[in-house]
Amino acid sequence: MCRAVKGSACKSVVSLSCYNLQCFSWISEGSNETLEFSIFFVARKNKIFDAPNKEAVLKTCQEAFLYRDRRNVPDAVLDRVAQQYNVSKVQASKLLKAVGTLMKNAVFQGSTDPADLIKLFPDDFHKSLRDLLAKIMIESMASWKSQAVNNQVSLPRMVDFDWRVDIKTSSDSIARMSVPTCLLQMKVQDNPLRVDQVPNVSNISVELSKETLDTMLDGLSKIRDQLSSVANR
Amino acid sequence: MSAKLFHYMKETPPDSVFSDIQTLNKFQDEQYGHLVQYVFGFLTDPSKSFRLMTQLEDFAAENGVSAGALKNVFKSFLSIPSNALKKSLTPEQIREDLINLGLSDAKADYFGEQWKTNQLALSRSALGQTLMVNQLLDMEWKFGVTAASSELDKVGNTFLQLKLVINTGNGVSNSYMELTLPQFYSFLHEMEKAKASLEYLT
Repeated sequence: MCRAVKGSACKSVVSLSCYNLQCFSWISEGSNETLEFSIFFVARKNKIFDAPNKEAVLKTCQEAFLYRDRRNVPDAVLDRVAQQYNVSKVQASKLLKAVGTLMKNAVFQGSTDPADLIKLFPDDFHKSLRDLLAKIMIESMASWKSQAVNNQVSLPRMVDFDWRVDIKTSSDSIARMSVPTCLLQMKVQDNPLRVDQVPNVSNISVELSKETLDTMLDGLSKIRDQLSSVANR
Repeated sequence: MSAKLFHYMKETPPDSVFSDIQTLNKFQDEQYGHLVQYVFGFLTDPSKSFRLMTQLEDFAAENGVSAGALKNVFKSFLSIPSNALKKSLTPEQIREDLINLGLSDAKADYFGEQWKTNQLALSRSALGQTLMVNQLLDMEWKFGVTAASSELDKVGNTFLQLKLVINTGNGVSNSYMELTLPQFYSFLHEMEKAKASLEYLT
């Protein structure tokens, strides 16, 4: 499967003069059981360290992270990856899955120290590739972490809220009065149930009398005091 | 009969009211005092109609009057202050109405005084019965820090969880939601603005 290099010299410090399909498996650090991952990485001959290909690798890693939890990656993405690396669709899907799992592990252990990231790879892994992947991980770690936090399990989240103050001037029991009251509407979004649908947002409207609002504000102030005492510790 | 103007009703009350008031005049002052107390007790808390019925039955038994007749008299008698409450009449206006209906001066004065003392409690209870849509009954909260998740070994985000107990017309419903810290602070800020508005308008 080795393809002969056509004349141009390899710029990398590694003595390999051509790249081919490489298959690696390693033990993931920090897990109790041995996980075997296979990563198929195909690089175009001679060009892995040139800028265009570095971008391609970066993009592949980002896509792999994006689709890391899906069972089936969309066909369009698979086609593009297959074309880019000159492999079949099946191999492209395996590539994305493997890269996705690798990125997931990197995000899980969370540190951006290169030494820690290098531990994720086995000792005989291709060094320049490993450094490139580590660099990509470090660059994207912050945005991936925030994506993971946004996706995590939670109660329905409040997205927005609105309030207004009305004055009730008359009612069935008293013909003339002037009672202020507060109306509060909160927009709450459920957790996503399907990957292709934005979860729906429900409106919760509540009416608060002055006493209720005072009591609620007392409770909220207690929360604020506790938060500031925790922050100061 | 000359058409007198009443404060508590726009038209002239029916004749039954006049005759029931005449019946009231026949009661002793002490018994009349009891009846007036029952009136105010009911108006302050209209949900306790069962209690009122037992009170009237006991009264009828003690004083040797028929329970049915007493209930009719009481109903007419109750209609006057309940309409007066809706229109927020003054004690003098009520006294005038009672005298025009035929109640003796002494009894009308007594009623007027009781009205004055109880007016605050009565208005407050009437306000309390005013319609409220989706009234907030209770709010429970807890806040904490996410330690870890399946995707991140170390998370450090604070979250706040709220449970709102709401009285919809058809029962009580609980709604749960989660806020991030910046959302909580802006929520608190807006609620303080709302409270300032409410205080300004009170």
